[in-house]
Amino acid sequence: MAVNRFMRAGIMFPLALIVVTTIYMGAAFGIRSQFSTPGEVSPRAIPLLTAGLMYVALLVVLFQELRSAPGEPDGSGSGTFLRPALVIVATAAYILLFRPLGYSLSTLLFVGSLFFVFGFETRRPLRFALYAIAVTAAFYGLFALVFGVRLPTFPGFAI
Amino acid sequence: MDTFLTLVGGFGALADWTVLGFMIGGFLIGTFFGAMPGLTSVLAIALLLPITYTIDVVPALVMCASIFMAGMYSGSITATTINIPGAPSSMMTAIEGNQLMKKGFGANALGHAALASMIGGSIGAVLLMAFMPVAAEISLLIRTPGKFSLVLFALVVIIIVDRGAIAKGVVATLLGVMFATVGIDVLLPIPRFNFGTETLVEGIDIMPLVIGAFAISEVLIQAQNWNAASGIPDPDSKDLKIRRRDFIPPWSEIRRIGFVTYVKSAIIGYGIGILPGAGGSMAAFVSYATARGASRHPEEYGKGSREGIAAAESANNSMCGGAFVPMLMFGIPGDPTTAIVLGVLVINGLQPGPRLLENQADLIAPMFASLFLSALVLIPLTLFLFGPYFVRIVSIPKGLLYSAIAVVALVGSYVATYSIFQMSLAVGFGLLAYVMRRQNYSTVSMLLGFILGPDLEQYLRRSLSLSDGNPMVFLTSPDSLFFLLLTALFIYMILFRARKKPSVL
Repeated sequence: MAVNRFMRAGIMFPLALIVVTTIYMGAAFGIRSQFSTPGEVSPRAIPLLTAGLMYVALLVVLFQELRSAPGEPDGSGSGTFLRPALVIVATAAYILLFRPLGYSLSTLLFVGSLFFVFGFETRRPLRFALYAIAVTAAFYGLFALVFGVRLPTFPGFAI
Repeated sequence: MDTFLTLVGGFGALADWTVLGFMIGGFLIGTFFGAMPGLTSVLAIALLLPITYTIDVVPALVMCASIFMAGMYSGSITATTINIPGAPSSMMTAIEGNQLMKKGFGANALGHAALASMIGGSIGAVLLMAFMPVAAEISLLIRTPGKFSLVLFALVVIIIVDRGAIAKGVVATLLGVMFATVGIDVLLPIPRFNFGTETLVEGIDIMPLVIGAFAISEVLIQAQNWNAASGIPDPDSKDLKIRRRDFIPPWSEIRRIGFVTYVKSAIIGYGIGILPGAGGSMAAFVSYATARGASRHPEEYGKGSREGIAAAESANNSMCGGAFVPMLMFGIPGDPTTAIVLGVLVINGLQPGPRLLENQADLIAPMFASLFLSALVLIPLTLFLFGPYFVRIVSIPKGLLYSAIAVVALVGSYVATYSIFQMSLAVGFGLLAYVMRRQNYSTVSMLLGFILGPDLEQYLRRSLSLSDGNPMVFLTSPDSLFFLLLTALFIYMILFRARKKPSVL
């Protein structure tokens, strides 16, 4: 029970931000200005002030989260995290393959994987494929043909 | 007077078929996104932001304005028909409109919403054009310490508006400020927080932040809440059948609402639009509450009041005009849509401020004209032409819709700069915004912190530099003192006085 109280996302997120703020503050101390005139505020002043205020705000958030009972909904309870995680994995793969495979093939695979995640037409393979091709083609038309954007192509192919 | 005439001359730019096409296209996109529960006009503009790199500034701004107006109006469609507000600003319309829908007057409710949106939106645009030159004159009087206090006022108001989560609002805003400090310093040629990489020396662009915070996080939220069996009413059901002639509100009902209600609500909406962070939801709520308080038929409220619909819709569409004032004059966006429009201006090398109206009014004027024509012509026209089909928008399979949004968001973030890094950054911000939204941190506050942070730092450092480091300059400068007192007044009004008052609903 005590572990649950501290392992909630409501607690973990501000703790993660405290780590980020500490790294930020460390980097802020490393900012050096070679130019200085009387009354001038150094380039690291605002970042340091921001980090200081961030610590105070995060401590208030942590205090509020700890005061709320562990059973209270914190906005993270509904739904499953599997699907967002799959979307992130598919997106990361898409970004990695976007240039090597070109727009058409990488987008087709990306759209197909998202259809799987969202369970769209997975029982009807023909419709599944047609919709995936249609989405890929529609946005190729929008970006490449309408707006004249140069999209990456599969090596040796025009699209 | 000359500036006003130039602004009116913006209508001429819409005679160009390309510009007109962008206005109509933007309006239809905004209508689609506004009418689709879960999608907003902010998301529409965010997705189209990369495209503005490839088109001229005039059609880009014209399109943004028509999306803004359409999104504000079209939230009333699903609010009325299926009791799910397409946009948060349509919450009050859902209360009254859906009651009328249940009584068999759905088309009539949609007609009243469109008429009020048309009147409110048009008045808001006219007020914007009429008072913009005056606002420009006033803004010239504000010096650097005053500008600092004004930006501080904006940030404080944005944070305290969400009374339930002020600490989280501060965290989100400061997070935005932290992202904004990455790159070259605002005054000196010194790189900050680049962690030894070349890529971060240029700083973080607004585009991946907008796409991540509004588009990718939405896809992730939808993926988490995914329920294939989630029921949206069948659009073919008998209750949702609508005929075109039913959309026209009878004259007797309009007279019963009273022209004063439309105009008063529009003025309230415009005034609230000028306030940073207030937005369409507050405009609709305040106007609705005011109309209810002054109504001769208060017993109808909550049971399908046409007056309530008129007050809410007139105000939230008029808000669009007001929201442009602080953004164009001070670079302070009042809401997320104008924050993204500010991004469009910056991308195209336009600097907000009074000089913008003096030197580049010809670029801004068509946007105002688009706002006016979208309200006056496109709202009633699209309702009449497409009204019977509006409700079918919700029947588009969500798996298809969100997959398409993911592709537009990612490819859009690539095409803006042809950079895989920007794509990755957009996904990173998307993941961050997803966690923030799940934990009730405002991503809008983060965006506004990102936009206003550099201004706050710049004005603070300049003011102190000019006064030899004496912070009393903020109290001795009359304009600065005015905004500091205004900040204190708002803190009192929103945090303390509001607690003592019982709810109006």
